[in-house]
Amino acid sequence: MSTQQQQPVLSLRNLTRVHGSGATEVHALRGIDLDVHPGELVAVMGPSGSGKSTLLTIAGGLDNPTSGQVFVEGTDITALGIKGLAALRRRSIGYVFQDYNLIPALTAAENVALPRELDGISARKARAEALAALAEMDLGQLADRFPDEMSGGQQQRVAIARALVGDRRLVLADEPTGALDSETGESVLALLRSRCDAGAAGVMVTHEPRFAAWADRVVFLRDGAVVDQTIRSDADSLLAGRAAQL
Amino acid sequence: MTTWFHSWRAAVRIARRDAWRSKGRSFLVLAMIALPILGVSALDLTVRSAELTPAQRMERTLGAADARFSDPRTGGVAILQDPEGEMHTPAGDYDSPGKSWPDGPTDVTKAIPAGSAVLTDSSGSAKLTTRHGLLQTEVRELAAADPVARGIMRLREGRFPEKNGEIAATTRFLESSGLSVGSTLTARGFDRAYVISGSYELPSDLTAEQVNALPGAFLAPYAKAVEKAGLSKPDISTTYLVKKAGGFTWNTVQAINAKGVLVTSRAVVLDPPADSKVPLYQKEDWGTYESSGGADAAALAAVGTVVGLAMLEICLLAGPAFAVGARRSRRQLGLVGANGGARSHIRAIVLSGGLVIGVAAALVGIVLALILTFALRPLLEDYMGQRFGGFTVRPLELLAIAALAVLTGLLSAIIPAVTASRQTVLAALTGRRGVRRSNRVLPLIGFGAVLLGAAVALYGSVVSDQFVLVAGGSAIAELGVVAMTPALVGLFGRASRWLPLSPRLALRDAVRNRGRTAPAVAAVLAAVAGTVAVSTYAASRDAQSLAEYRASLPYGAGAVLVTEEGGRDVPAVRDAVQRTLPVDVRADVFRIAVGKPGCDPYGEGAGCGRFEVVTPPANECPLWVSTPDGSDPAEKYTKEQRRALAKDWRCLSHDGNGIYVEGGLLVADAPLLKVLGIDDPGAAKALADGKLLSFHRPQVDRNGAVGIKLITDPKAADRAVEQNKPVPGELKSFPAYQVPGSPDSYGVQSVLSPAAAKAAGLTTVPLGAFFSTDRIPSTEQRQKLDAEIAKLGSNVELTVEQGWVDENGLVLLALAVFAGLVTIGAAGIATGLAQADAEADLKTLAAVGAPPRVRRMLSGFQCGVVAAMGVVLGSAAGVLPAVGLRLTEEREQMRFYQQALDSGWGGAGDAPPYVPIVVPWETLAALLVAVPLGAALLAALVTRSRGALARRAAH
Repeated sequence: MSTQQQQPVLSLRNLTRVHGSGATEVHALRGIDLDVHPGELVAVMGPSGSGKSTLLTIAGGLDNPTSGQVFVEGTDITALGIKGLAALRRRSIGYVFQDYNLIPALTAAENVALPRELDGISARKARAEALAALAEMDLGQLADRFPDEMSGGQQQRVAIARALVGDRRLVLADEPTGALDSETGESVLALLRSRCDAGAAGVMVTHEPRFAAWADRVVFLRDGAVVDQTIRSDADSLLAGRAAQL
Repeated sequence: MTTWFHSWRAAVRIARRDAWRSKGRSFLVLAMIALPILGVSALDLTVRSAELTPAQRMERTLGAADARFSDPRTGGVAILQDPEGEMHTPAGDYDSPGKSWPDGPTDVTKAIPAGSAVLTDSSGSAKLTTRHGLLQTEVRELAAADPVARGIMRLREGRFPEKNGEIAATTRFLESSGLSVGSTLTARGFDRAYVISGSYELPSDLTAEQVNALPGAFLAPYAKAVEKAGLSKPDISTTYLVKKAGGFTWNTVQAINAKGVLVTSRAVVLDPPADSKVPLYQKEDWGTYESSGGADAAALAAVGTVVGLAMLEICLLAGPAFAVGARRSRRQLGLVGANGGARSHIRAIVLSGGLVIGVAAALVGIVLALILTFALRPLLEDYMGQRFGGFTVRPLELLAIAALAVLTGLLSAIIPAVTASRQTVLAALTGRRGVRRSNRVLPLIGFGAVLLGAAVALYGSVVSDQFVLVAGGSAIAELGVVAMTPALVGLFGRASRWLPLSPRLALRDAVRNRGRTAPAVAAVLAAVAGTVAVSTYAASRDAQSLAEYRASLPYGAGAVLVTEEGGRDVPAVRDAVQRTLPVDVRADVFRIAVGKPGCDPYGEGAGCGRFEVVTPPANECPLWVSTPDGSDPAEKYTKEQRRALAKDWRCLSHDGNGIYVEGGLLVADAPLLKVLGIDDPGAAKALADGKLLSFHRPQVDRNGAVGIKLITDPKAADRAVEQNKPVPGELKSFPAYQVPGSPDSYGVQSVLSPAAAKAAGLTTVPLGAFFSTDRIPSTEQRQKLDAEIAKLGSNVELTVEQGWVDENGLVLLALAVFAGLVTIGAAGIATGLAQADAEADLKTLAAVGAPPRVRRMLSGFQCGVVAAMGVVLGSAAGVLPAVGLRLTEEREQMRFYQQALDSGWGGAGDAPPYVPIVVPWETLAALLVAVPLGAALLAALVTRSRGALARRAAH
């Protein structure tokens, strides 16, 4: 793909994460290397405890690696302080979790505008940007609804809109469809796919091979290490075999 | 700046909506902050509205007149006055020895400029007949309907008197007298009748019982009638309301002062002269009475401390509520973090919670205060006894009060905000719990503060005698204990291993989560410490006043005395006592009258005199004898001699208990001795033999006699005393019987039988009765007697000795109830917080088969544990300052006692001061046992035994 030549949005270099020490020592990640380019959606799969979520939290700067480096749009985030990481999350990284992504006290538009407002943009401008982002994803009609007035799928789509508002180009999604029925899940993934096609980079943790099929690339983790990688063209066949192995 | 502003806007929006979403909790905190704000703003509004502007004040004093001229009774000499016309003094020097102070009336009318409009305003008092009896009432003669007087009296009903036979009365007088407009009013001993033509009020004195008549219509004829009956006529004082074109300037006022007349001028009050232009202020000791800077600072410090402690208490109570909010919305805060919210943003959101509630509380409190003060204005005016000048709103003051509310809200949310922001985003998102460590520095600072505060208080109570040091030190130490609470809570955890499951879980949970337990415990601690300190102090004071209590009469005995009008009402009063009280022995008593029998004791009217019981010079206490040069006789003695003299029989003073009677002398028969509990058989015999009974040894001379000097010219006697000459008057000598031992005679120094008095040619008039009772009169009997006496309209002194009565009981009870409520409230909030945290534990418990009641028991114990810890720590922290304060008092009183002994002051021969320290065990027991138990039961009762199923952590 043409995107391969561009600079990666996310680069993980020899990433290691050890929880605890001594008898309780657990190697969550062992020397992971991964690049995600603009326009690319990467699915991370693996059994429970394989380090999928740890990989995502470290990539987003919510947790620190024991060793190795994380580059987001060229910046080594392991060298940043707490404030720098927070600013990075406001400007460059968007998160989508399995459920309860939205702040119950804020409307959809306000939820989407939140990172921009926290960044000090005026409320009016942030709202305009949020409405634009929602409209772009055909969610304009939800703008003034509170989360408890929306369905789970609608909430997840608003969360994706928030993840990509402003200049954010990296979406980290942790089982974004885990709490949804399969049909709604498909529609959420279709949206994520379309945002990546429009130029964003995405990393999605999932254990549903069906959803992994939406990805350009699937990375398999086991005991904290990458055991296999495949690109989309032969993903389907490979997925069937891997799924059987896992 | 704008960046900061925009991100705060988002934070405030979240906080505002969250506050709305959890209405119960928000309402609780709002009420906690808004109630004191309501009280303070209502107070501010009331005080400001009640304050009058100079113009309003002048309208109420002068009406439409320009000035009020009054007689300062300085015999017409030139005077100096202050601009308000409230203080005055003769202009010349009359203080030097040999000069007598000017006295006597001044003819005010001579000072009134020609061509002015003048109204007289006279007042005196009279006994008016009411529905229920007689009422001593002020009679004011003023043409109230005259345009010049307009504003002084406000007409409520009918009209002001227009004829001599009419009278108007204040609404309060009509209420107390049971009369109404149209009724007929008479006065005792006066044959004229007046028709009440209207009712009015004095806007600055709503409680005044006053009637208004036209000038000359009442007072002069009444005085004549009273005098004819042989009674002393009422004092009538007259002032003049003067209206003159151009008014009276300060220069004019000074010119009138030169004629010996005092002036209250509207123009001067509205535009007062500079202090330098007021000669009175230049005179020694007459400078403006302004409170010193030091006193102001002390008052400010006291107010600051009270406000500060109140705010601390509210913060400690409200803080955990914000912590509950932050804990419940931790997933939400985690999401904000995941979306790039920095720690400052998280802090801002939680702090905004405080801001939102603070602003709402300020608004609610102040708006309610405005509405209530406005709506309750008539009630407030009645309560304060004066009409407001207007409804005065001082926006700046209300704004400052509002700022206090906002500040309290913000301060309450600070610690929860910092705690919430310290959590990692990951922990918040995954709902991972962990033991939140309490701050390690704070307990150390607290420990330092406790040591420092205790040292200061100790220094204050043991070395110096300064209350400020004790109170300040105690306050610092208490804040220190509050700061140490997390560490102290940790100590309680050690007790957990011996407890059964539910209390063990509750205590361990409380100790492991000190961050949320500590503020609640500290809130309980602060409230309980205050209550215990006040209770301990009050209980100690009670013990002291019980020990120092000197009965006025033997237990159950009483005395009823009437000195006015020559004892005219005495028979009726004696009858009333006999009828209403369970009287056992009644002893009728009389007094010696010198001059006209209608005179009051010490009466100054024409033909009135007085008597003195003479102390022979040899028996005078050398420390107190009067010296020709007016110097202090005690200076002649050394400190040791003075100490020795203080115990000398001549210097033992009467210690002030008992019934006051003129000259300490009563004319009465043997029953009086029985009432007073004097059972010396010789005394009754001596009295029957015509001797004078003496309970006061110094008055008995070498020959065993007591002299009574009859002074017919009191003015000459005063002059003689001033010039240190013998007092002129006839001396009657009586053989005396000094009652052996020194029985308490309750203020009576000598008793003479009526027969002996008569034999000696003394005039006696009825004074009243002393009586003993079969049993202590009940409240109903007392009230009945009071009503009977009130009907007579006489000035009756009634004493019934009921022993020492504890007056603090109700206050202490109220304090204990307050502390109990705070404790239950704080413990309840902490329990709510614990419940928010313990959901997972409860699910685990349910999963391993715990019955549903465990949930109830756990929450009950959680509440009880917090209450118990707070109450134990608070009791300890509260007893200490009270003890310190008492020790200081003891030192101060001992010092005063020693100084009195050294200087040979009166009363020094008494026992040294007794300053006990008493711990109020009943209050402590109630706080230590009943309150935690009550809190636990309440929490257990209101907890649902089944948890809401599938309640997600995020909501």
